[in-house]
Amino acid sequence: MFPNNWCKWTPVALSADVPAGTVIPAWTPTGDVALWRSQSGQLSASSDRCPHRGMRLSHGFVRGEALACIYHGWSYGRDGACLRIPAHPDLQPPASINTRNQITTEREGIVWVVNEAQDEPPPSFDGYWPLRSMTFQASIAALEAAAGAKADISGLIRCTLGGETAFLLAVTKGEAETIVHVLADKNASLAQRIAISQAGEQLRRDAESADALEGAN
Amino acid sequence: MSDPMIDEWYPVALFSKLDAAGRDTLLMGHPIHVARTGSERVAATEADGRSLPVRIRYGHVWTSLGEPKKELFDIPEADEPGRRLVDVGVVRVRCSPLRAVENFLDIAHFPFVHTDILGAEPHTEVEKYDVEIREKEDEVWATKVKFFQPQAAKSAAGGITTDYMYRVPAPTCSVLYKTCPPRPGEWDVITLFVQPLTEELCDVWPWMALYDDEADMTDLIHFQQMIFLQDRSILENQIPRRLPLDPGMEIPTRADMTSVAYRRWLKRHNYTYGAQLVAQ
Amino acid sequence: MKLYDYILSPSCYKVRLLAALTGTQLTLRPVDFHPGGEHLSPALLALNPAGSIPILEDGELVLTESSAMLVYIAAKAAPEWLGSGDPAESAQIQQWLSFSHRLTASLGGARLVEMLLRPGDLAALQASGVKALRELEAALAVQRMKGDIFLTGSKPTVADIACFPYVALAPDGSIALDPYPSIRLWLRAVRALDGFIEMPGIHRLHELKPEPAKETA
Repeated sequence: MFPNNWCKWTPVALSADVPAGTVIPAWTPTGDVALWRSQSGQLSASSDRCPHRGMRLSHGFVRGEALACIYHGWSYGRDGACLRIPAHPDLQPPASINTRNQITTEREGIVWVVNEAQDEPPPSFDGYWPLRSMTFQASIAALEAAAGAKADISGLIRCTLGGETAFLLAVTKGEAETIVHVLADKNASLAQRIAISQAGEQLRRDAESADALEGAN
Repeated sequence: MSDPMIDEWYPVALFSKLDAAGRDTLLMGHPIHVARTGSERVAATEADGRSLPVRIRYGHVWTSLGEPKKELFDIPEADEPGRRLVDVGVVRVRCSPLRAVENFLDIAHFPFVHTDILGAEPHTEVEKYDVEIREKEDEVWATKVKFFQPQAAKSAAGGITTDYMYRVPAPTCSVLYKTCPPRPGEWDVITLFVQPLTEELCDVWPWMALYDDEADMTDLIHFQQMIFLQDRSILENQIPRRLPLDPGMEIPTRADMTSVAYRRWLKRHNYTYGAQLVAQ
Repeated sequence: MKLYDYILSPSCYKVRLLAALTGTQLTLRPVDFHPGGEHLSPALLALNPAGSIPILEDGELVLTESSAMLVYIAAKAAPEWLGSGDPAESAQIQQWLSFSHRLTASLGGARLVEMLLRPGDLAALQASGVKALRELEAALAVQRMKGDIFLTGSKPTVADIACFPYVALAPDGSIALDPYPSIRLWLRAVRALDGFIEMPGIHRLHELKPEPAKETA
């Protein structure tokens, strides 16, 4: 699972799920983030709370190179600094208003976030490409049991889904909540990718019912 | 419960919709039952059978868990002849009752949340207005508030600069006076009465007393429901759910002077039900 | 055409939305659903004994099911919203129209309990809502693998309009949309359509308009 002793980065989303000019909510061990991509394609991870009135910034909107809050339109740049307060168009916002951004990077279709600079980049998975992100209402243990495989030393779960080899990047969000990014062979056909995606649904049903049985005992 | 908010009056039902079977609800975490007992009579009781004081006013039934030290606040305009009294109906919101009131006092969000109705870009500037805590009445007042509105009310056909006054007569109630397009010189009255179910859950009862002879009553109800439901998704996504009273956790600007005064007034009275006191 | 309408009803909004997208004129007749309960008045029950809204009247024709209204408006004003006529696509559109009634029952039911205090088993409604959202997410993930964004192809149809409102408003019933990246992009694609109109609970996509230029004195 991620992050772990070797990798402080958390895989938070797939690059394809945050196109230019959009913002999505994401989770890291150091707090919820509003993950957004500027019009020019730059990614940022802002704390998911507007410093003005506490509104979740992931409900906001991206214009140009700035993320704006849906509540009052306060906008923030890639460094987290407040750029504009629409109620006071002539005011230069004080530097103290900042969304405290984390560090982001992208590698082969996966967005990784970390809260302090790292010497090592996040891992790459040669020959594999992410297919989907899914949220399981299940523990990592239940996921491993359902997948019939344990995470290896790098944190990766290698298993068979829909008859194909797949990799799972798992992030523990809570005791019974796990975010799973499913990776498939880069050269998998459309039919193979659909089969893996469908098998992912069954994997989730299995993991969640394993946890439910555990709870009943 | 040592919070002085226990001695305040709260709305707990719409009088016109209350029947003998009544309504089971919560007031500050306590289960209560409210029911009609006669054509102009209502009973409110706690789970142990204790009778609670009752007032029937402004279309709603009001009660209190404690011993109210003051009569229910007055809205003199409510009794003026010629006004249409509008029961807007209840809406439940997962937020602090204090956050619901604070949002009602805010105009800077109009262009972004009530887009093309109460506000629109580029008219986002909030000009300076006056705020005071009126010591004699012990109420928060904001006056000389102005904002450009593309469609100020159901009866407003085009955009106008609308004048507002805001008044907080009780910790979970606010009264808004705003430009009345059919009768220049008069004020329409729009209220937000909030029933605190718990510190993070409330039933909101908007109510209005308008000069409007034209609009259909249902149109008036729907206009106000539309406005409040646009706010609801904001209120359910503020973090923390409770209203922070300590400075530092949220950053106000000059446009937020009403909010600053409201928070200060709450703190001064130790009105903390629904408030967050320790910065996290 | 006359629509018996309630501003907070997602089913009424489906009809208003498709009318706006196809340039169809509607005469709105507001119904005091809440708090008045006017949909259960003798006059409205005479029109629709089921006691539900919307109701669409066009001359002698009275329709009481929102999916039928969508099909009627599309057939009259903009047949491209019924798809290309390909048998498989036509059947899929019908399937999504049926599916939309599950959304109404589950997500819509939870919303009525949470927002307007109607009686109901909230936990059960939320659980069936989550199940429906997962099915939708899985289907949309496959659409994206095929390079499409809408439910049955690269163009929106009545199927998208039938499913959009209750999904977009799921948070009104305390059902989070955070775990569904493909649903998020699909919602955004619908919201970005030319002529799109909102309903309360669905905010304007402010990013579609540029930031207002600073006025120079």
